[in-house]
Amino acid sequence: MFAITVDIILNSLVLGGIFVIMGVGLNIIYGLNRVMNLAHGALYALGAYFGFSVVAVGGNYFLALLIAPIIVGILGLVIERVLITPMRKRSMIYTLILTYGLMFVIDGLIKFFWGVETRFIHLPEFMQGTVSLGSASYPVFRLVILIGIAAVVAALMLLLGRTRLGINMRAASEIPEMVSACGVNVRGVQISGFVLGCMLAGTAGVLAGPLFTVFPIMGHDMLISSFVVVVIGGLGSLRGAVIAALMIGFVQTLAEFFITEMAMVIVYMLMALILVIKPLGILGEGKFE
Amino acid sequence: MSNMEQAAPRSLIFERLGGGKAMWITTAVMVVILAVLPFILPNRFYIRLVNEIMIYGLLAMSLDVLLGYTGLLSFMHNAYLGLGAYATGLFMIHIWPESIWVAMLVGTVFTMAVALPVGWVQVRTGGLAFALLTLAFGMMFYTVAWKWYDLTGGDDGLMGLPQPDITLFGLKLASSGNSTAIYLFTLAILLICFVFTWRVIHSPLGAVLEAIRENEERASFVGINVRRYKLIGWMLACGLAGTAGSIYILYRGYTGPGVMGAFEGAGVLMMVLLGGMGTLWGPFIGAALFIVLKDQLSSWTQDWEIFIGAIVILLVLFLPKGVAGVPALFNRQSGGED
Repeated sequence: MFAITVDIILNSLVLGGIFVIMGVGLNIIYGLNRVMNLAHGALYALGAYFGFSVVAVGGNYFLALLIAPIIVGILGLVIERVLITPMRKRSMIYTLILTYGLMFVIDGLIKFFWGVETRFIHLPEFMQGTVSLGSASYPVFRLVILIGIAAVVAALMLLLGRTRLGINMRAASEIPEMVSACGVNVRGVQISGFVLGCMLAGTAGVLAGPLFTVFPIMGHDMLISSFVVVVIGGLGSLRGAVIAALMIGFVQTLAEFFITEMAMVIVYMLMALILVIKPLGILGEGKFE
Repeated sequence: MSNMEQAAPRSLIFERLGGGKAMWITTAVMVVILAVLPFILPNRFYIRLVNEIMIYGLLAMSLDVLLGYTGLLSFMHNAYLGLGAYATGLFMIHIWPESIWVAMLVGTVFTMAVALPVGWVQVRTGGLAFALLTLAFGMMFYTVAWKWYDLTGGDDGLMGLPQPDITLFGLKLASSGNSTAIYLFTLAILLICFVFTWRVIHSPLGAVLEAIRENEERASFVGINVRRYKLIGWMLACGLAGTAGSIYILYRGYTGPGVMGAFEGAGVLMMVLLGGMGTLWGPFIGAALFIVLKDQLSSWTQDWEIFIGAIVILLVLFLPKGVAGVPALFNRQSGGED
C-alpha cells in the first residue's frame, strides 16, 4: 500500500511538473502576445526529437537538455518573425488557425526526418536503476527528471521574479502601453516571451522523452492536456496554471492507475465540472479577449 | 444588422428566402448538374468522390454557421459528424434497421443531445476558451469511439450496417445500397439543409449571430443574450453536422474512429477557409477543392500533411477570405482586412 502511494504521488508530481512547464509556456506566450499557440505540442515533440538526436550522436542526456531547448527557441524566433508578426492586427481566430496549420507542418516534418517508429532516448548508466524509498522502490531516471523539472521551475521563478526582463514581461502582459511609456521596448519583450515559451515546450519535450518514449504525434495529447491546464487555471494566469497542472497531473495519474483505458475522459469531465462552477477558470482574471 | 428583411416587399420568393435571384438560379443550375451527373458519368469512382464532397460540404457549411456567422471556432467539428454516424449506425444495427428516416432523425437528435451540455459549458467560458474546449471535448469523443470496443468496435469501426430502402411517404424509391440512389438521396438532403440554413442565417436570428461575431460587448448592450444565441448557433451547427454524419454512414456503410480525429478536423476547417467563411456556399467549393487536392496529393506523396498544413498557413496569411474573397482582390475599393 505504501509502495503504491509513493508511486502515485511521485508519478503525479512528474506528470504535473511536465504540465506546469507546458502550461506556463503557453500562458507566457498568450499573456504577452495574445496568441494561443496550437503548435506548442508539436514544438514539445520537436524538443524530444532534438534531445534524442543529441544523445544519438554521442551527447549526454544533460547536454541534450541544454541544446534542444535552444534549437527549439531559435525556431520559435523564426516562427514569431515570419508567421506571428503579420497576424498581430488580425482577429485571434486567424492565429489559432495559422498555428493549427503549423502544427501539422511540424508533425509532417518530424515524420519526414525521423520516421514514424517509436524512439527511445538513451539514458546514462546511473539513471537506469531503481532507488529504494523505505519499502517502495522507484526508478532513478524519474527522480532525476523530477529534480530537472524542479530546477526548470525554480529558474523560471527567478527569471520572472528577479530579473528586469521577467519583470518587464509580467508588466507587459498586464498593460503593454504603460510599459512602453516607461521606455521599455515592448516588442522586444513580447518576442522574448514567445521564444521563452517555445524553449519551455522544448525543455518539456526532452524531460518527457524518457517517460513516455518519443513518437511523432506525442505532442497531440500533450497539447490537449496543456489546454485543459490553461483553461482550468484561467487563461493568462501563471499561478492558476501551476495549480491546475498539479491537479490534472494527480487526477490523470489516479485515473490511469485505476481505469487505464478511458482515463482522459475522467480528466475532461473534471474540466467540464470546474468550468461549470467557475467559467473563467480557478484564477481567471475575468477577461478573455 | 440589417433591417432590409422588414423593409423589402415580401412578394418575390427570392426575397423571401434572402439572397439574390442570381444566387438561387446558380444554386438551381448546380443542383440540376449534380442530379444528372450519375447518369452521364459512367465512372463510379467519381460519383463516390462527388458524393463525399457533398457530405463534407454539408459539414463545412455547418462549421461556417459557427465560424463565419457566429464568430466561434470549432477545431473538431468532424467529431459531431462522427457522433451522428455512430448513433445512426448503432440504431440501425441494434434497434431498428427498417427506416432510413427514423435512423437519420435519431442520428441528428442524438448529436444535438450530446452537443447541448457541451455547448452549454463552452459558451460560458468566452471566445478563445471556447475554441480550446472544442478541441478537448472533440478528443474526448474520439477517445470514447476509439476505446469503447464493445460498443463501437474500436479501431475496426462499426460494420455490418443494414441497407434499408429509401422510402417517401411509404413509397419505396430505391435501396440505399445502390450508389446512384444514395447519391441522389444525399443531394436531396443537402438541398433541404442548405435552403433551411440559408433561411435561418438570413432571418433576424442570423442577424443576431452576426452582431455577436462583430462585437460581442455591443451586442449584449442592445439586450441580446449573447450566451443563449451562441448556444443556438452551436446547436444549429452540430445538428447539421449530425445530419451529415447520418448520411456519411449510409453512404459508406461503415464508420471508424478515424473520421473523428484531429487531423480530419483540420481538414474541415481548411474547407471553410479555402472556400471563404461567412458565405454558406463557399464551404462547398472549399470541400470540392480540398477533397480533390487530398486525392491528388496522397497519390504522389506520403507527407501530404505538410502540404495541407502549409496551405492552411498560406491561406490565412494571404487569402483569409478564401475563393469567395478572390473577386474582392481585383476590386480596388475593398481592402482584404477584416
